[in-house]
Amino acid sequence: MTTNTVVSVSGLEKTYGKANERQYTALKGLDFTVDAGEFVGIMGASGSGKTTLLNMLSTLDTPTKGDVVVNGHDVTKMRGNQLADFRAQEVGFIFQDFNLLESLTAEENIGLPLALKGTPSKVMDQAIHEVAETLSIADLLQKYPAELSGGQQQRVAAARAIVHHPAILMGDEPTGALDSTSARELLDLLTTINTQQQMSVLLVTHDPFSASFCQRILFIKDGQIGSELRRGSQDRSAFYQGILNELGTFNE
Amino acid sequence: MLGKLALAGIKNRRRDYLVLLAGLTMSAAIFYMFANLATNQAFLKANAAVSSANVIFGFGAVLLILITVVYIMYANSFLLSMRQHDYGLFMMLGATRKRVGELVFLETLILGTVATAIGIALGLLMSKFLVGFLLNMLGLHLSHLTAFYLPAIIATAVLYVGLFILASLFNLVKLTRTTVLKLLHSDELANQPKVKPFRQLVQGILGIVFLGIGYWALAAIKALQLLAIPVALVTITIGTYLLFRATILMVIRALRHTSWAKKHLNGFLLGQLNFRVHNYTRVLTIVSLLFAMALGAITVGSGYHRQLPMMAQKVGTYTVAVHNPTARQHKLIGQLHVAYQATYTQKRQGKTVYYNAAELQKQPVELRSYTNSGNLNDQKLYTESLQKFKKSGTNDLDFLSLALGKVGAYTPKILSAKQFTQQSGKVVTVTTIRVKNLQQDLVPLKKLNQLETARYSQPGSMTVGNYQNYEMMLAFFGGLEFIGYFLGIAFLAMLASCLMFKILSGAPGDKRHYRMLYKVGVRQSLMRHGIAKEIGILFLIPGIMGVIDVLFGLQMFKPLMAAPMSPYLGIGSTFLIFIGLYAIYYLITLALYWRIVLPQAPND
Repeated sequence: MTTNTVVSVSGLEKTYGKANERQYTALKGLDFTVDAGEFVGIMGASGSGKTTLLNMLSTLDTPTKGDVVVNGHDVTKMRGNQLADFRAQEVGFIFQDFNLLESLTAEENIGLPLALKGTPSKVMDQAIHEVAETLSIADLLQKYPAELSGGQQQRVAAARAIVHHPAILMGDEPTGALDSTSARELLDLLTTINTQQQMSVLLVTHDPFSASFCQRILFIKDGQIGSELRRGSQDRSAFYQGILNELGTFNE
Repeated sequence: MLGKLALAGIKNRRRDYLVLLAGLTMSAAIFYMFANLATNQAFLKANAAVSSANVIFGFGAVLLILITVVYIMYANSFLLSMRQHDYGLFMMLGATRKRVGELVFLETLILGTVATAIGIALGLLMSKFLVGFLLNMLGLHLSHLTAFYLPAIIATAVLYVGLFILASLFNLVKLTRTTVLKLLHSDELANQPKVKPFRQLVQGILGIVFLGIGYWALAAIKALQLLAIPVALVTITIGTYLLFRATILMVIRALRHTSWAKKHLNGFLLGQLNFRVHNYTRVLTIVSLLFAMALGAITVGSGYHRQLPMMAQKVGTYTVAVHNPTARQHKLIGQLHVAYQATYTQKRQGKTVYYNAAELQKQPVELRSYTNSGNLNDQKLYTESLQKFKKSGTNDLDFLSLALGKVGAYTPKILSAKQFTQQSGKVVTVTTIRVKNLQQDLVPLKKLNQLETARYSQPGSMTVGNYQNYEMMLAFFGGLEFIGYFLGIAFLAMLASCLMFKILSGAPGDKRHYRMLYKVGVRQSLMRHGIAKEIGILFLIPGIMGVIDVLFGLQMFKPLMAAPMSPYLGIGSTFLIFIGLYAIYYLITLALYWRIVLPQAPND
């Protein structure tokens, strides 16, 4: 199990603009894999292609060239409903701006992925309460997003992302809108989820502190993987220093 | 520069603007058509055979103005919801509030003026063709009806431009009072309405009581006279509002706790409705009332249309009497669905008309039994023996009418076959025909009657046969019938547009929600269905309430439509057509909503 790859990207390219117009290539042939149970970070400055990459992985956008295989599914070959179902079942998302539906309670927001699958309501209730215990938001379930703080909202969003046990959890700057305490709490939670549930996590960020929670970091520069950093046996603060050093030289 | 930017903003959303412009144009056109009828005194005087027609038009005008105000309010909020973000951006870029305010004011005013101008032009065309078409279909002729009527143009222009100036001022004030940040993030914040069981129970009961009073007032129109209408309007409005407030939220809350709510997007649908319905209570109330009025007007109009022939058929015996039929008339008679036909030879001399007993024996004259009950349904057709007929039947008005001279009817005398052949006089054959169903044969009957009256003049005050009777009634009630149809269609067009714009004004804010759902992996088809259900429910609630209102409201017309007519007769088909038109509005709204809200999947 441990050596299984969850994400496998090969020769990924993305070019914006039509053939007869001025074109811009955001991704220039990326290759990498994420193993099951791994906590991988993707770092890079603004405009380096991080978000484009995540959009490809999560099927929100289609690549110009190359293959993306997630949990055995070649996402570049999927169309329409297959794509939607893939997002609903194989991937969990956490976004910078939480993306919670304001007209639903926290409980209903968390239950959404299960409802889409047509899970029986008893099973659903149980799953929601389990994940709410894990993320210590059990007492917030009946509230609406507008009644929650940013940190609480992001925890609800995290609960929604993992309630249906996806193959991989993807985060797009999940701490971007949080204060430092909430950010640290969320990252601790992600680590817990990663270790306890053996869920692969892919974190896109430009924040070195967030990245220091990962086991491996890919640095992207101008649409290519510039370098890779492994945490190995270092503790988190040492790794944090390592990242800062890498960033210091990487952008030169 | 800012003007250019604003223009570019409009260009980017030209399809949304086209919808808005089309809606406003239609509204102005309908208003012009109505004003054209309502302000045309010559037309009113010539056609208002029923004294209440004037009152109905006055009432209609007030209602239409009210609807127009509401309509422009919602159209304006749709406009504002589209533009808020851009205006916020301009201010962020450093444009002064005053400058942006001017822009807003001008934009609204220009849009409104253009819509009014096109609307009046369209209204002129529609008055010319559509009204003519409607009259043709109903077989009516209304005199003094002209498409171009200056006072109506002025009335429409003043009302609309005036309202748009108000709307512009409103936008100006609203935009200059809101902070830039709020404009940029104008996505509505979800205010979750609180549920207070006791208060809602009281509201619900009060609502039902008010509705009860309103419905009672409509039924008791004989006692209350004209007072019934305002009483019913006020109480039904309050009652509907309270009932909606009390029940809809409760039902949604209750549904949210069922396991049904946990399937697919149902929970999201209920969540959306939960905070929408609260904001929509007022619109839904207004729309349900308008729905009721539109449907009621059309039902009454079509009731007259369908039932006048029926009513006419219950008076007298034969439908038409044709004297010395020509070849063309014979051909027309061949097209009729005959229930009873008889041909008699008359010999007219002096003031007497002679009939052949043998012919009367062979083809007895049909008579109608008149009872004292006054109910036309009890009166049956029968024939009697020649003996009896000679004594009393010859006084029958319909029989007398078979031989009319310039001064009046000839005195009929029945002679035996032998005497009849010897009798001198001008020979005329007359064919009487009773058709099975007057409605069915209206077209050939009309021609037949025209040919007959062209050849034989008759005293103006008399009618021969129940077809002529029908024409007389048509002249009398036709105005009412037309008003019914016209008001119905006008109200329907306005109310559905009101609802449409209210719903559409929420669409830009909803865009974000569907974007989220898309990211989370909701299938397009599921989102489409979800939206269809949500908007469907918003259309359905006032629809149902409106139908109930109409079913009670028709009581009001019972005194006007005496037996055998009834305001309830054959309303099924009218309801179906009306609901069909309403459904078309629903589909248009849905298509527009889909277009605004649904996220586009990446193309490759």
